[in-house]
Amino acid sequence: MAVFADLNINYTDDKKQLRDIIETAAHLGYSTVAINHLIDLQPKKQEIRKPASVDELFRQLPVVQGKSRPIKVLNRLTLGVSDASHFRPSADLKYYDLVAVVPKTEKLFHAACMTFDVDIICITVTEKQPFFFKRPPVNGAIDRGVFFEITYTPAIKDSTMRRYTISNALSLMQTCKGKNVIISSGAEKPLDLRGPYDISNLGLVFGLSEGDAKAAVSTNCRATLLHAETRKTALGVIHTIKKTQTVEEDQEQEAPASKRAKTKHV
Amino acid sequence: EEPASYERLVLKNASVYHYLRISLVFQDSDKRLSEAQFKQLIISALRDLYGEIGAAFPFDVLKFEENTLKAIIRVLSSGLVKLWSALTLLGSYQNEPCAFRIIQVSPLLLALSGNSRDFE
Repeated sequence: MAVFADLNINYTDDKKQLRDIIETAAHLGYSTVAINHLIDLQPKKQEIRKPASVDELFRQLPVVQGKSRPIKVLNRLTLGVSDASHFRPSADLKYYDLVAVVPKTEKLFHAACMTFDVDIICITVTEKQPFFFKRPPVNGAIDRGVFFEITYTPAIKDSTMRRYTISNALSLMQTCKGKNVIISSGAEKPLDLRGPYDISNLGLVFGLSEGDAKAAVSTNCRATLLHAETRKTALGVIHTIKKTQTVEEDQEQEAPASKRAKTKHV
Repeated sequence: EEPASYERLVLKNASVYHYLRISLVFQDSDKRLSEAQFKQLIISALRDLYGEIGAAFPFDVLKFEENTLKAIIRVLSSGLVKLWSALTLLGSYQNEPCAFRIIQVSPLLLALSGNSRDFE
């Protein structure tokens, strides 16, 4: 079973608030959270700062409910792009575990899906989607392993935003058929967070199937994180774990008598 | 000899109701509301998301603890997704931020008598 993750918690300078949110996330059962730093790429270049280390925030990370393991906190950078030339791979991106992009026009959405070296493409939920999701870029993004993100906090706060969230989500689902979608909070307060099972239920409202809805808070988030890791390497990542080896002799003795006799003959 | 006859059995989750144990959380913990207000809050959450038809959806508050704001709700299984999503998207009560925490969901009321996640 994959563990749950919430890949969008808004960064605030208020450290206590941020701690409260992460503690609430751990209590609700999220094993991984990502602190989101939002930067709008302007014509005049804005500095991409190095994110504050997580150790500064916590002396001891809160324990995830039901897992007895500390929560994993990552840093994520979200770039608001209004012109394709503003996005260029820079060394500053390597400070962040995840890189997301908010495309503002259809042309940029196409570029983000097909060429940008990012992990997440954010779907606007605060206004009506200004363009249609076309099949080719969405399929291109799915092939490249880039994920589409829907945030749900605006839907909690305001009924108009809720309408936009649901309608934009539904139109995305029509094109991507529930593949490569992640749902995250975008929380600014502890009360904006909802439990992982609540969100997988909410996915049903967004037009996902039951399996896809659960994947949107668990396995897809894991895939996003692995995709982010491959960005820093040449080709891919391999995780190895130590496996206890069984003794060969024991197995031979456990084999049935008929089989043992046969091997002796040969 | 007659060939063995097979009977096809299809088992579905036939329970009519689902039960939810929920708790209402406020930013400041000393907020009080009565059982009627609590039910009205859920109905208004349903109306916000699903309109008048959603607000007319039958559900019962079986138990409500006023001092902890915890409740057990019974809902027809067909409306579970609607009720649950309405609770999820509720964000405020009388302009005060709040959130519903769904603690347990089960088709059997007995299952709510204990919670394996509280075990030490």
